Amino acid sequence: MESSDHEVCPSEGCKDRVGLVSEDGKNSKSVVCQRCSSKVLSPGSAQFTEKELFLPFMRKKTGIVEAKGIVDGDTLTAHWLVDDMYTFENVGFTKDVGKVKYLICADCEIGPIGWHCLDDKKSFYVALERVSHV
Amino acid sequence: MSLPVKPEVYVNDVDAHVFHTRWEKKSNVRPVRTPTAADMDDDVLTTLKILIIGESGVGKSSLLLRFTDDTFDPELAATIGVDFKVKTISVDGNKAKLAIWDTAGQERFRTLTPSYYRGAQGVILVYDVTRRDTFSKLDNWLNELETYCTRNDLVKMLVGNKIDKENHEVDRSEGLKFARKHSMLFIEASAKTRDGVQCAFEELVEKIIQTPGLWESETQGRGVRLSDQQQGGGGSCGGYCSLV
Repeated sequence: MESSDHEVCPSEGCKDRVGLVSEDGKNSKSVVCQRCSSKVLSPGSAQFTEKELFLPFMRKKTGIVEAKGIVDGDTLTAHWLVDDMYTFENVGFTKDVGKVKYLICADCEIGPIGWHCLDDKKSFYVALERVSHV
Repeated sequence: MSLPVKPEVYVNDVDAHVFHTRWEKKSNVRPVRTPTAADMDDDVLTTLKILIIGESGVGKSSLLLRFTDDTFDPELAATIGVDFKVKTISVDGNKAKLAIWDTAGQERFRTLTPSYYRGAQGVILVYDVTRRDTFSKLDNWLNELETYCTRNDLVKMLVGNKIDKENHEVDRSEGLKFARKHSMLFIEASAKTRDGVQCAFEELVEKIIQTPGLWESETQGRGVRLSDQQQGGGGSCGGYCSLV
């Protein structure tokens, strides 16, 4: 991971990212739920990473999992990555959707805030856009 | 980092103690502990597997929600279903990470698998105080636990849920008696008002921590050693604790 904010700051929400990523590529602030402020990650516990992941919208109540497989959502690239689920302070996992488990807030269950694939047991992603940093 | 040596608090005349909160209890019963270096860092004590079981509709899932006042819609979680949660809890200044597994409705079809039970250190057994049938089924759940659980020193807590509702069919003394008979911790709770819910998890974790054999092996490889000062007798208490 490159060390400066400039280097790790590509496509979306560039300005917002300044100050969130420390020099060693870790999260400099706590990662919390946007809705209920439940703490998801402690400062310095996750690595900034970029990977294109599709996450269904959080707010829409219908259409998350349509019978025909049509899902509305965003493709997000900026994520916090951890390799052990116990690195999380608080997090929930949905049941499997194909080979994916979505991450949700453990306390109010809003989500998806992140993504985990059963094929890679050492990668848990939390989308920067889906959480707050305090 | 070491655990404080604690007095036995699961006394048999526990009814005399009314603990509204864990903190009140702590200040009343526990000796004040001198802060140690361990308090300064965020070391995680251990990771524990906790199960929540009981009949359908007793409020198991809502025990895990911080907000249950219908302000929030569960959205995705309601659509797909929650598998399990990782939660961090503080016990005497030490952090414990819990992996909490809810049956998520599978109990309706009696499809709980042995793997669901495997390795669990704690179980929260829930009934609905307004439905006697959910209380009557507790024996079945205990049998299932005995059949599938890989540990015989599993810590069990009985939760009489929904005390905020009227028309109770199971009164508190019955719950307490059942808990006592089966060496379980006992608490009445309301997920709706959050009464007792946080307490339930904290008490369960505390009891597990007092049962060293349950978690010592779990800490290996995580660079944390805690067992040196643990009292041998701490885990053998077959008592119960009432918190309401």
